[in-house]
Amino acid sequence: MPTVTMTVNGKQVSADIDPRTLLADFIRVNLDLTGTHIGCDTSQCGACTILVNGDAVKSCTMLAVQADGAEVTTIEGLAENGEMHPMQAAFKEHHGLQCGFCTPGMVMSAIDLVKRHPNPDEATIREELDGNICRCTGYHNIVKAVKAAADATGG
Amino acid sequence: MAEYCRPAELGEALDLLAGGGWRILAGGTDLYPANAARDRLPGAVLDITGLDGLDGIGKQDGFWRIGAATRWSSLIGADLPPAFDGLKQAAAQIGAVQVQNMATIGGNLCNASPAADGVPVLLGLDARIEMASARGYREMPLAEFITGVRRTALAPDEIVTAVRIPDPGPAARSHFLKLGTRSYLVISIAMVHVMLIADPPGRVADARIAIGACSPVACRLSALERELIGHPFDTSLADRVREEHFAPLSPIDDVRATAAYRLEAAREMTRRAIAAIVAGGGRR
Ligand SMILES: Cc1cc2nc3c(=O)[nH]c(=O)nc-3n(C[C@H](O)[C@H](O)[C@H](O)COP(=O)(O)OP(=O)(O)OC[C@H]3O[C@@H](n4cnc5c(N)ncnc54)[C@H](O)[C@@H]3O)c2cc1C
Ligand code: FES
Ligand code: FES
Repeated sequence: MPTVTMTVNGKQVSADIDPRTLLADFIRVNLDLTGTHIGCDTSQCGACTILVNGDAVKSCTMLAVQADGAEVTTIEGLAENGEMHPMQAAFKEHHGLQCGFCTPGMVMSAIDLVKRHPNPDEATIREELDGNICRCTGYHNIVKAVKAAADATGG
Repeated sequence: MAEYCRPAELGEALDLLAGGGWRILAGGTDLYPANAARDRLPGAVLDITGLDGLDGIGKQDGFWRIGAATRWSSLIGADLPPAFDGLKQAAAQIGAVQVQNMATIGGNLCNASPAADGVPVLLGLDARIEMASARGYREMPLAEFITGVRRTALAPDEIVTAVRIPDPGPAARSHFLKLGTRSYLVISIAMVHVMLIADPPGRVADARIAIGACSPVACRLSALERELIGHPFDTSLADRVREEHFAPLSPIDDVRATAAYRLEAAREMTRRAIAAIVAGGGRR
């Protein structure tokens, strides 16, 4: 079995795994970080979105071995010293979730979005979140939350 | 036991492939959904994304060279002349951002789906496919590379190393349109890529029109291309589009659309793409 080593949420982790292990499963099962959700398993819904070397990717469509040597950030890695990341805080403040299933992926995609568009308008936010599906909110409050977070972080 | 290998040197990858039994993996965004990853990922996987020189965009000897492992997101951000606007428009609509951050141009072509958005664009840019194996390099036009639905001329021991595009020059303008049942994350019903070059007196000097998802392999509309050349580059140009120009297409009826709807959509999108280029101005 190959050994993979990567940095997840700032901590180096290493494991011997079946090379077929998906990154999403590695994160959830091997690392017990279950904030990354699996909604569809076919790269459609975006619930499994994480950051690999700073870019949003769907962890259900990537092998863990492909992330060997990478910097990975999951939803659990966002808070600092018990303080929510501004994006998380904005989702809470603007009620950008209902059941919460899509939320970890939504937040990770939104962080990538604000990195690429520091001052996004509503149309840009809606367009750029096209890889994340939410079955509850109707998206309005998600869009508000992303806008508020972008404004708060000085876009 | 499944094997996984991610070499850094092309020579090493080609030697492995020469031994047989490997499945090439680039971004994995076609491979995984097609293989329901957990159970059926092909035995031995050769990951080509670590290979030196397989990604990136450059210009050499009158050709633009796009490495096969170049991700769609890198293409969107690349500094390219306006002839590549259509390619960027296509890239920005491949799946969503998370897919564009993984998926490669080479994977799109090798997968050879009739609905692959990169194919009509690159056909319209007269792209050539560069391939390597332990036996050496070879190159062929994209139109010959894709031989049918999900079939290519690639031999089992070959890797596509690059897409090479003859420089269309600074006057070339392009536009890409695609139609799906909704705007995002759908398989295309039809796509259209138009490239036009206007000469200084304001006539069409070159025209290339390619349609995807309306035939087993995307195809060029050479009769329409001939029709447009020599005509004034103005708002009347889109009116030159006529039904008979679409004779090379053979759209199918399926769950997404009827054949008749596909054909009508292709015609209307072609008009709109031509009009969009004219509206943008031929020479800046
Ligand atoms: C949610 C989702 C949405 C999508 N939306 C679109 C869309 O809108 N438009 C579209 O066109 N596609 C779409 N796709 C399909 C896919 O993302 C693209 O075709 C992509 O460009 C494939 O590239 P890849 O690097 O991921 O290929 P991979 O999956 O890694 O490979 C695809 C095939 O090509 C072979 N291969 C890859 N690279 C090489 C090479 N260099 N040499 C030889 N063989 C090679 C592999 O063995 C495999 O058979 C979508 C996919 C998903 C999951
Ligand atoms: S679980 Fe990965 S996109 Fe749905
Ligand atoms: S909050 Fe339930 S799916 Fe988005």
